[in-house]
Amino acid sequence: MNDIGKRIGKIVKSNTHIDYVCQVYGPAEILEQPEPSDYAFGEFVAIELLSGSGPKLIGVIYNTLLLNPEFGNLGPRLSPRSEQEVFTPDYLVETATLVGIITLGWQDRDGRYWQGVPGLAATVDAPVRRLLTEELQAFHLDEAGRLQLRYAPVLLGQNNPLVPQLLMNVIDRLLALFPEQRRQLTVMRNNLAWKSIVQPAG
Amino acid sequence: MTTQTCIGTVKGPGESPHEFTFIAPDPERRVKNGEFVYFMAFADGQERRILGRVTGRQPVKLFPDSFMADPAVPPESVAALLGYDSDARELFEITVTVLGFFDERLKDFINPRVPPVGGAPVFIADDAMLTQVLSRGRKGEQGSAYLGSLLSREPDAVPVALDVRGFTSTHLAIIASTGSGKSYLAGVLLEELMMPYNRASVLVVDPHGEYNTLQEMQNLPVFRDGNYQPRVRIFRPEDLRVQISSLTLGDLRYLLPNLSEKMHYQLGRAYGYAQRTWGEGKYTLKQLEYAVRQVGDSPPAEDGDAMEDDPTTGGLIWRLGSALGSSKIFHDFENLELTELFEPGRCTVIQLNEVDRREQQVIVATLLRRVYQARIDTTKKKVSRGDKNYIPFPVFCLLEEAHNYAPANADAVSSEALKTILSEGRKFGVSIGLISQRPGKLDSDVLSQCMTQCIMRITNPIDQNRIAESVESVGRDLLKELPALSKGQVIVSGASVNTPVLLRVRARVTTHGGEDIDAPAEWRQWFDREQGVSDRDEALIIEEEPKRDEDGMLWA
Repeated sequence: MNDIGKRIGKIVKSNTHIDYVCQVYGPAEILEQPEPSDYAFGEFVAIELLSGSGPKLIGVIYNTLLLNPEFGNLGPRLSPRSEQEVFTPDYLVETATLVGIITLGWQDRDGRYWQGVPGLAATVDAPVRRLLTEELQAFHLDEAGRLQLRYAPVLLGQNNPLVPQLLMNVIDRLLALFPEQRRQLTVMRNNLAWKSIVQPAG
Repeated sequence: MTTQTCIGTVKGPGESPHEFTFIAPDPERRVKNGEFVYFMAFADGQERRILGRVTGRQPVKLFPDSFMADPAVPPESVAALLGYDSDARELFEITVTVLGFFDERLKDFINPRVPPVGGAPVFIADDAMLTQVLSRGRKGEQGSAYLGSLLSREPDAVPVALDVRGFTSTHLAIIASTGSGKSYLAGVLLEELMMPYNRASVLVVDPHGEYNTLQEMQNLPVFRDGNYQPRVRIFRPEDLRVQISSLTLGDLRYLLPNLSEKMHYQLGRAYGYAQRTWGEGKYTLKQLEYAVRQVGDSPPAEDGDAMEDDPTTGGLIWRLGSALGSSKIFHDFENLELTELFEPGRCTVIQLNEVDRREQQVIVATLLRRVYQARIDTTKKKVSRGDKNYIPFPVFCLLEEAHNYAPANADAVSSEALKTILSEGRKFGVSIGLISQRPGKLDSDVLSQCMTQCIMRITNPIDQNRIAESVESVGRDLLKELPALSKGQVIVSGASVNTPVLLRVRARVTTHGGEDIDAPAEWRQWFDREQGVSDRDEALIIEEEPKRDEDGMLWA
């Protein structure tokens, strides 16, 4: 097992202080290409602010966008696609997968995890990697060793229809990690499910 | 200590200061209306269980109505279809009326006025705790009347026993509509009073003749203890005797129909004459008639010349004769002796079926008056052992169809005697149990004087209002239950219990005498019985052929 999680991309843009866009590494950019499951919906990631053991932002992938300039160009091409690789190789690189990341907390220089809105912001090109299970576990425990989910209000405050589902995904994952907290998590999950599934359907 | 069962979480204060609400999923439907729950709070220096009664239940989370569009499809399956497959489908907001903690020293609930902390756990009271705190009495103990068990629990899980001291000092009322089991409950109460641990002196006024099965108590082993065995004596209408001279002027006026002003006046004078001449309680009907003539406008001459009576005298004498002379109950010399009626360990049933309503009222009035006077005289030591009015023990009188003896909006001769005992009887050990199916027809003063109430199903709104007006101890929440109670379910409140309780009446040991007539079965029986007789009758007619001679002539 790797010491750190798999690298998946780099920050290319931000919408707000906590809402970032990460471009997933393409074929030529990194040795070990990220799998789609590495940047799936609900996956926890770390945004490295400084290389090595510096502070990190902890976030979760809440959205995916595909960038494709060719979309809409339905007319005939003068040069066939196989020749484009030779004549205009940078054109192909312009297709990219973007994922939206919302930050839920941070890890300070001492390695301690904090939930909430981070004071620091990421920079363009800051590397993004998957969070390891142990890191995910540590992120969700407070100093007293209790399960915490303090970022939930920030998440629910986002005007995004995918948020309830995202939170339920997170809770499902936590249910496996913290079986002793099952009852609290279940109350939270049922409440979310009722409000997002049953009530809108009624 | 028993394990505590947490069933919900405090939400916050309720509408009134003694209410709070809590939220419970309650999948097992344990938190019913009337159920007892508690929270923990510090009161009087220690942590105590603050008991409360569930008085309301509102759903706060329900499946949308549109999920129930197809009766064959349960809403949870629709929710599961959409991805909601949790068991948590319902949530209720429960309203609780706080009773307080039970103070062992005061034997009562003390409301500490400590509101529960929001988010605090709410526990369901266990059977042992409720057995301890709800009843004043204990099943099978001296001074207790075990009536049944708490309705919200399993049968016999929480026995409820009334404190006999409570209702034998401040009276009792059993109020229920027809067919809800009031006579059955009265039977249970009487059984308890005659148990070896109580040995009461009880008089039952039974206008329908349905308490004669109580005689079974004399032979049942459960009522025996050493030398003790209850005695049940039944006075049938033909055994009843009321001595004419024990009737008051009010009784006489009540019994005699349509008296004119003048007759009233003359009767009053005649009554005074009789009392003065022969002494209180020492004259006959003839002597009373003589007194009427003596005080009339044309008194008979001393030499006994029979003169025509004047119309008033004649009318009065005729009325006295028809009301008292033709009655088997009113008698010149015989009277029901109190010593025959009352004795500890004895249940006397006075059957008044087939007795005229006014006569019933007069019988009850004279009996109540006499026993009350006897108790006063005994308490004040005016009479002593051997005296016929010496009753050195408290007595309990149970009146069926009490609205006949103390009607609202009407005068009855028995009302006054009843009201006197209800307000003053406590001091002299005379207590009353009233049974009525029409509390709306019962005098409201009378009902409000009964400090222990057993209320069964009442559907009539007038009766419900009368109960709400007269019975303070039953909360509005419990009164709402009245139309929904089933047969044999009763709300007991007042002086004999620590808090109003909803209970199911226990099974009677003796047979219930108040069963309704099974008319279809009896009609059928009549046919089975009579068919043979009529067949025979008809057969005789056919067999008897007229005799004819050879000419075809009929001969007798």
